[in-house]
Amino acid sequence: MSELNSEPSISRQGALQAAALLGAAPWSEMLKSWLKPDASTQPPRPLREVGREREQRVIPPPPLPPLGVIALNRLAFGPRPGDVAAFNALGATPEARLQAYVDQQLNPAGIDDNACQARLTGAGFTTLNKSLGQLWSDHVVNNTTGWDLRMLPLVETERATLIRAVYSKRQLIEVLADFWHNHFNVYGWHYYVGPVFVHYDRDVIRAHLLGNFRQMLEAVAKSTAMLYYLDNYINQAGGFNENWARELMELHTLGVENYLGVMDPFSVPLDENGQPIGYVDNDVYEAARAFTGWRVDYSSWEPGVGQSGAFLYYESWHDRANKFFMRKYIPADQAPMKDGLDVLDGLASHPGTARHIAGKLCRRLVGDYPPQEVIDAAAAVFLAQKDAPDQLKQVVRTILLSTAFQNTWGDKVKRPFEAAAGFLRAANAEFTPSDSWGWNYGRLGQPLFSHPAPNGFADTKEDWANTMSMLQRWRLANALIEGWVEGTTIELVSQTPSNLRTPNAIADYWIDRLLGRAMHPVENREEIVGFLAQGRNPDFDLTDEQRSGRIPRMVAVLLMSPDFQLR
Amino acid sequence: MIRQRLTRRQFLIGCSSAIAAMAGSRLTRVALAAPGAGDDTNSEVLVVIFLRGGWDALNVVPPIDGSDRGYYEGARTELQIPTSGEGALLQLNSQFGLHPSMGPLYDLYQQGSLAVVHAVGLTSDTRSHFDAMQFIELGTPGDKNTTTGWITRHLESSPSLPGTILIPAISAGSSQALSFLGSHEAVAMSSPNDFSFRGHWDYEDAQRTALRSIYNGDTWLYQAGTQTLDAVDLIESLDPGDYTPANGAVYPSGSFGDNLQAIAQMIKMGVGLRVATIDLGGWDTHENQGDGSGGYLSGLLAELAGGLGAFYMDLSGAGASNYTSRLTLTVQSEFGRRLRENASHGTDHGHGSVMMVMGGNVNGGQVYGIWPGLQIQQLYDGADLAVTTDYRQVLSEILIQRCGNPNTEYVFPGYTGYTPLGLVRSGSVIPPGFDYHLYLPDVER
Repeated sequence: MSELNSEPSISRQGALQAAALLGAAPWSEMLKSWLKPDASTQPPRPLREVGREREQRVIPPPPLPPLGVIALNRLAFGPRPGDVAAFNALGATPEARLQAYVDQQLNPAGIDDNACQARLTGAGFTTLNKSLGQLWSDHVVNNTTGWDLRMLPLVETERATLIRAVYSKRQLIEVLADFWHNHFNVYGWHYYVGPVFVHYDRDVIRAHLLGNFRQMLEAVAKSTAMLYYLDNYINQAGGFNENWARELMELHTLGVENYLGVMDPFSVPLDENGQPIGYVDNDVYEAARAFTGWRVDYSSWEPGVGQSGAFLYYESWHDRANKFFMRKYIPADQAPMKDGLDVLDGLASHPGTARHIAGKLCRRLVGDYPPQEVIDAAAAVFLAQKDAPDQLKQVVRTILLSTAFQNTWGDKVKRPFEAAAGFLRAANAEFTPSDSWGWNYGRLGQPLFSHPAPNGFADTKEDWANTMSMLQRWRLANALIEGWVEGTTIELVSQTPSNLRTPNAIADYWIDRLLGRAMHPVENREEIVGFLAQGRNPDFDLTDEQRSGRIPRMVAVLLMSPDFQLR
Repeated sequence: MIRQRLTRRQFLIGCSSAIAAMAGSRLTRVALAAPGAGDDTNSEVLVVIFLRGGWDALNVVPPIDGSDRGYYEGARTELQIPTSGEGALLQLNSQFGLHPSMGPLYDLYQQGSLAVVHAVGLTSDTRSHFDAMQFIELGTPGDKNTTTGWITRHLESSPSLPGTILIPAISAGSSQALSFLGSHEAVAMSSPNDFSFRGHWDYEDAQRTALRSIYNGDTWLYQAGTQTLDAVDLIESLDPGDYTPANGAVYPSGSFGDNLQAIAQMIKMGVGLRVATIDLGGWDTHENQGDGSGGYLSGLLAELAGGLGAFYMDLSGAGASNYTSRLTLTVQSEFGRRLRENASHGTDHGHGSVMMVMGGNVNGGQVYGIWPGLQIQQLYDGADLAVTTDYRQVLSEILIQRCGNPNTEYVFPGYTGYTPLGLVRSGSVIPPGFDYHLYLPDVER
C-alpha cells in the first residue's frame, strides 16, 4: 500500500532491512526507532520568555549521589531511615556493596520480612491466600452480595501492595512486581479480572518475575485475568478474535518497534539466523488462530465446560487447520494447545523480544534513555539463558551490576507510586491503607492496577513531569504531614534529634536524611534554612513551638523538591 | 527529522511590529490577576477530542443505500444499524446515516454546527493503536522520533498567540497528551477547583515562596515545577468556585463530562486558553459491541454525544457569551474498524475512520471527503474502509482558517498537497497581504 505523502525519514522497515542487509548489529538501529533520542542532549526548550520577568538559573546535570542513594531509589521505593547506612556496611567499596545488596535482594527468601508480614496479617485481609478456585467460587459464582465482594480480591491486593512497597525489606521484588504488572497490564476493575486478581498477582506475576520468561508468558496466556481482559476467552475457530494475539506480540514480546505493519509476510527480510526481523499483521492473525480454544471454564450450558473459572482448552473451538506464523509452518491437527505453545516458543526465543524486554527493564531500572551497552548486555543474557529457570533473575542482575546503572542518576522522575511510597518511607510514616489514602493518592494519576489500556503506565519523565502530577504529589506531601490522610501518621518533630535546635542544623539533618546528598543546586539549601529561620539568624535556637510548627512543613517542602522527584 | 531551534520569541521577532511589541511586553506577578488579559475577542479556541481505541466509524456513520449498503449489511449481519424500525440510524444525507445514540450531535449537524468527514485518517500502514496514536499526536506519520507534539509546534509557530497569555493550553485529565510533547505551556488539569496548593494556611505562603526559588531553573524538572506554580497562582487568583453550566446544559457524569465542563469553565474565565485536549477511551470494541438498539458502543456514543452537546449548549449565548463563535472542536480516533464483524460480536482494527468538526463557524450539515466504496477492491488490504483524506488536511484547514496559524508546514513537516475542504469559515487574524514566508527562519530538515 503506497503512502499518499512522502515521509521525511526512513521508515522503520527500511531501517530494519538496511541493518539486516549490512549485517551490522541491528539492535541499536531498531532501538533508535523505538527510544526517543536522548532529550538531555537537546537544548532545553525555553519557557515563554516573553512575559517572564524572572531570571532563570542554568542548572547543570545533577552530580552522581553515593551509590547507596542510587540503589535505594531505583531498586527500592526510596530509602527508609538507616537504609543507606546498612547498604554502606555491606562492603568496603561501592561496587562490593552494590553486589552484596543486589545478591541479597535477588534472594528474597533469605531476607527476614517478618515485620512486614505481621502488618499484612494484622490488616485483616481475607482473600490473599485463596486459590483460583476459591476466588471464583466465593466472589463470582456464589456471590450474592454484589460489586464490593466481587472486587474485594483486587482491593485487598492493592492494599497489600501498598503495605509491601512501604514496609517490605524485599524491595527489589516490589519494584519488579510493579514493572511486570505494567508490562502484562490488566484492568483490575474489569468485571472478570477483579475477582481473580489475587491469583494474577501471586501466581502469575510474582511467582515468575525472577524465573523464566517463557514460563511466565504461558502463565499469563492461560490466566483467567488475561483471557478475559484481552478477549481470548471467546476466541474461536471460524471467526477468531485478534485482541490477545496482537497485544501479545505488540506489547508483551516483540514490541511495536518490531512491527512492520500491513505487509506481505514473504517480503519480511530475514536476519542472519533465517528468522524474520519483525512481524506483520498476518502473523497476528495466525497467532490468533493458534490460540483459538484457550478459554475459561465458566459456562452453564456448554458441554464439557464447568464453573471453576480456571483455564480450559476447548478443542471444539480450536482452529485445527495449518498455520504460518513468522515463516514457521505449523501443521494441522497438532496435539492440544501445541499451536499456541509453538507461538509462545517462537516469540520467547526471538532476539526482538530479548531486545524489547531488556530495553524496558533498563528503562525502568537505569534511565529513560539507557546506554546501548547495558541494553545489549541484558538482551544477550536474556537470549543465552532462555531456557534457564532463573533467566529473568540473571537479566536483572546484569542490569543492576552494570556501569550504566552505577553511573546514571536523575534521568528518571518518580512515578506517582514511587513518589508516594517514597514519601511514606522517608518520613517513616505509620501507614494503613484507607479510602482516604485512595482519594488523595488517586489524583496523582497512577491508581494501581487501574490502567485501562494494555500498555500499562508510561515510564518516561515526559509522561510524569507535568503540572497535574506535580501539583497533586505536592498536595499529597502536605496532606500527609498535616495528618489529613486517615490511617497515616507521621511524627516528624520527634524524629528530629532533640539536640538540633538551629535552622542550620535542622535543615542539614533533614536534607541528609531525605536526600542523602546536597540539594541541587547547592544554594537551594538556603531556602530550607530560610523557611525554618523565618527571617531570624539561622544559628539561633528555635523555640519548641517554632520547631513543632516549622519542621513538618519544611520536610514537606523537601518532599516536594526537585531532588526528591528524581531517581 | 526536523531539527528546530525555534522559540516563539525568535519567530515573533520576524513578524509585524505590532505583534513584536506585544512580544516584548513584560508581565509581573501583580498583573497576573487581571482577567481577560490576552483574551482578545478574536481568539479562537481549538478543542481536540481523541477517542482512544479506534472507534467503529462504519457504525458511527453507516452507508444508507446503494451497493455499499449491501456490502455493509452482508458483512455485519448482526451489528448493522438498520435504516428503519427500532434502533434505526439518523439520516445525514442521501448516502449516510448517523448512529442513533448520537442525537445531540445530530441536532448540531442539522443546525449546521457539525460537519462529518468520512474515510479520513492516517495514511501509514499500521493497525497498531500505539503506533497510530503516536504518529497522529506527534504529527509525523511514519516517524516516532519527533521530539515535539503537533500542538506544541502549533503553539510555537502561531503568530496569533500574544506572549502575555500564561495558560494557552490545557490537557484535560491527569496526564499530558502526547500532542503536547515538548511543550512547557500546556497545563495538565482535571478541573480548576482541584488546581490549588492546599497547604496549612499559616505556612502555605512560605512553602510556595521557597518552592518558587527552589524550582527556578532552565531544565525540564525545574520548568515543570515553575509552570505548576504559575498555573496555580493564576487559577487561584481567578477564583473558580462552583460552576453552573449555562442554558441548563447537563454534562454526563464521569471524567469525560467533568473534563468538558472544566474546559468550558476555563474558556469563560478568560485566561487566554487557545488549545485544549480531552481523551475518551474504551473504543476498542473487539467483542460484544452492540448495534443500533443498544449495547456497549451505543452507551459510549451516547456519552460522547451528550458531553459534546452539553459543551456546545454551555458555550452558546449572545454577545460576549457567544463562545461557540470562536470554538472549533475536532473529534478523531486513531483508526476505524474492519468492515466485517468478528465472531465475538465485535470488530477488529481497521483503517479509514470518521472525523467530526463542531463549532460556530463550521460549514456543518454536510459529509465531507471522498467516499471510496465498500466493494472488496475498494477496501484497504481487502478488509477495511480505505483512507482517502489525510487527517492532517482537516487539522491544517482549522489551523489556517480558524486559529490564524498558516505555518502548517512546521506543524506537519513532510505533509504536502494541502487544499481546504471547506469545513470552516475563515476567521484568520493574519492581516491581508501578510506573507509569513518572509519571516520564517531557515529550517534544517
